[in-house]
Order: sequence, then C-alpha cells, then structure tokens
Amino acid sequence: MPAIFPRWTNKIPLAIAVLGPLVGAGVIFGVWYYWSPEFTDVGYRPEQPVSFSHKLHAGDMGLDCRYCHNTVEVAAKAAIPPTQTCMNCHSLVKTDSPKLKKVRDSYESGKPIPWVRVHQLPDYAFFDHRPHLAAGVGCSTCHGRIDQMTVVQMDQPLSMGWCLDCHRDPDNNLRPLDRITDMNWDPHSEEALAYNPNEDPERKRKVVPPEHCSGCHR
Amino acid sequence: MRTSLKPTQLFAAACLAAGVLASGCQGNRSEAPPVHIWHNMDFQNKLDPQEEYDFFFAIDCPEEAAKIAELKAKAVAHGHNPDHLPLPEKTCRGRAMRNAPAGTVARGHLKNDDHLYKGRGPDGRLVDELPKGIVLSEELLNRGEERYNIYCQPCHDYAGTGQGIATRRGGGFAVQPANFHEDKFRAMPLGHFYDVIVNGKGTMLPYAAQIVSVEDRWAIAAWVRTLQQSRTTVAMGGK
Repeated sequence: MPAIFPRWTNKIPLAIAVLGPLVGAGVIFGVWYYWSPEFTDVGYRPEQPVSFSHKLHAGDMGLDCRYCHNTVEVAAKAAIPPTQTCMNCHSLVKTDSPKLKKVRDSYESGKPIPWVRVHQLPDYAFFDHRPHLAAGVGCSTCHGRIDQMTVVQMDQPLSMGWCLDCHRDPDNNLRPLDRITDMNWDPHSEEALAYNPNEDPERKRKVVPPEHCSGCHR
Repeated sequence: MRTSLKPTQLFAAACLAAGVLASGCQGNRSEAPPVHIWHNMDFQNKLDPQEEYDFFFAIDCPEEAAKIAELKAKAVAHGHNPDHLPLPEKTCRGRAMRNAPAGTVARGHLKNDDHLYKGRGPDGRLVDELPKGIVLSEELLNRGEERYNIYCQPCHDYAGTGQGIATRRGGGFAVQPANFHEDKFRAMPLGHFYDVIVNGKGTMLPYAAQIVSVEDRWAIAAWVRTLQQSRTTVAMGGK
C-alpha cells in the first residue's frame, strides 16, 4: 500500500514549531507598533486653508497662546479664533498680502475660514482644557513645541494609555500656574525637577487627577 | 553550504519588506487624517463646538443655497432627478453653533449695569472709578498685568508706549497704537480704557470677544492706569 501522505509532510510539525512563534511575534509586534496612536496619529499635519505659521506668531513674535485661543482657561475647548482676531493686526499689517486674501474675504463676508481640526479625541472621551490648565499642565506638554511649527502637527498620541501615564504620575508633568503658556519650559530642567506642585503656595487645590472610568468617560 | 533563494521566495521577501517600509515609522508626518483601526464609537452623532453642520446650510449660506435651489428647479423643469445633480463644491458651510435669536437675552446675561458693562455713569459720561464689587487690590493689578501682557502688549508693548512687537514686524502699522503716557491719555477717565477694550477706537478693533470677562477688562484698565502712574513724577513735599 502506497503512503497516504508524501514524505515532505513529515516536516510540517517542525515548520509549525519554528514559524508559528515567529509569525505570532510578528503579529504582536505589528499591532503594538502600527496600531498604536503613536503611529496612526502622531505627525498628522493637515494642510490649512491659510498657511498660518505658529512659528512666526507664537515663536518669533512671542504672542501668548491665549491671545487667540482665549477660551482655553474657562471652557472645555481651546477655541479656534474668529477671523476678527487675525484682523486685529492684519487690518494694519501686510494688508495686501495674497496669503491673507482668504482672511480678508472671510472678514468681509462674515463666513468662517474652514480651518482643519488637528487634535480630535474619540467622541466618548470628554476632555476639558479648563481643569488641566488650572492644575498647571502646560500647553507644550500635550501639543509640543507649537512655537517651532510652521505647520501644526500632532506631537503626542493623545491615547488613553498616554493620558493615564500622566494621571498616575502628575507631579512630574506639572508646572507653576504662571508658566502654563511658557513654550521654553523644559520638564527636565533643574527648575522643573525641583518644582513640587504639592508645596506650591499659589495653588488652592491639591492635585488629584481621576483614574476612574467616569473621570473621562461620562 | 551555499543556498540561493528561489525567485518566488525572493519575491515574497521583497513584498514583505516593501509592506513594512511603506507603512512607515511612528511619528512620520502625514497630511492624511489619522486612521481609526477600530471605529467603536469614535464618531458619534453629536456636534462639537465650532463644527460644521449641513442642517443650517440654507440659513448660514443663503446665496449658495439659493443657487443650488435654482439649479435643482432647472433640473426638475427638464425632467431630471434633482437629487442626482452634479452640484458645485460648497465654499460656505452651515455651523453647528447658533447665535441667540435677535432681540433675545440669555438668562443672567442682561447687562443693565452701565457702570460695570459700559464704563459709563447714569449721565452717560465715562466714569473714573472701578465699579462696585471690583476692589482695587494686588490681585486685581496682578490679573490686569497678566491679561494686559496677553492681549494688549503685542501692540502697546509692556510699558504702554505703543511700540509692541506687532508694530515692528511685516512693514509696521500704518497708524501707530496709542502711547498711554501722552498727556491726552493720562487725562482720560478709567472708563475710557474699559470703553476702548469693548468697542475699539480708531484703527483698533474691539476686544470684547477676546477679553470676555468684565472683571478682566476692568483689571486691564486699572493696569493701564498703573503704567501711567509709574511714569508720573511726584513732588515730594518736605516739612
């Protein structure tokens, strides 16, 4: 009687034993590396209708973040400024620049400039800027060195694990309350390492970030 | 022992390498929106502040809505299905956030205290004192300094001489911002500075939308007065 299985099938168990773990490790690596928001989200830099440079305005000229994003201390969202905020200066400076044509048109017609949103959390995560600023989380901690970006891009993954990293260890990520918009704040500087939010007399409340589900998912 | 890969094996390896390389590294820059591997409930049927919302297209973009209605009417007249019409790309979008209807006031937003909200007394003239409830204190001046340095300093500079960074870039301002230390501004009542913040003056646009809190506006007015006082020479009377 001839053999039912050809001779090469003897190698199948060996192949499974060797390739199986390799493929498994590859899949795990792939998911860990490529499905992470570090890969899918960080570096997102959409093209905006007006090529506004944060490097020029916030970096070189040193405008405070809150000059434009003025709701950030009192509302959940750091609002995109209305066109009038641009025109505060640009009705007097660079008034005939072709790059600013859309801004002037928007101001005259009253129709908003269709800015493209860069940072967007899932709709089930209820992030609120207000308590984060009140606790002394600086702009650059989550948004990176905006003052060095000609085109704004996502700097941090804004994933749940990333949020929890800080909620579980807030002290190393907080700064004095009057340095929130300071883009030059270096979390590794001596000043930052010496700063202890729990001993800051300027603070009226103890820092207790929530770690329970309903802290962010209502 | 020398081994050489068969063409099929070589092809498979090349495909694998290409796949890995094409998917890039973490943090790579991209203009394409982030990929959501599991949508779950990332995008729900709700509206965030400042989002666009087509429902109000006809209200927010009356001209474009009229044009589209006209095209559709034409299509119907020619016996075509108006829903299958190739429409021009919209340059205007409806907004999710709505203004209060004209002539209405939200609860708690009736601004009937002229001194507090307009900087004017019962006779309609600008007042020269802080409103009731806002006390001149160190906190008020600190707040005023902080807010001044955010909203006013770019044009008026830290000292109030009207030579801020914005006036020195990109060709400069056609009209210089006010120098608070000029005699005509030193003589102005406190309410004047409040009024200019709210309504603007000359080439300066109103800042009411940016400096929403009335307390902050008065704090800034008090800080402007402080800057003026800082350059006032006071004769020291000896006895």
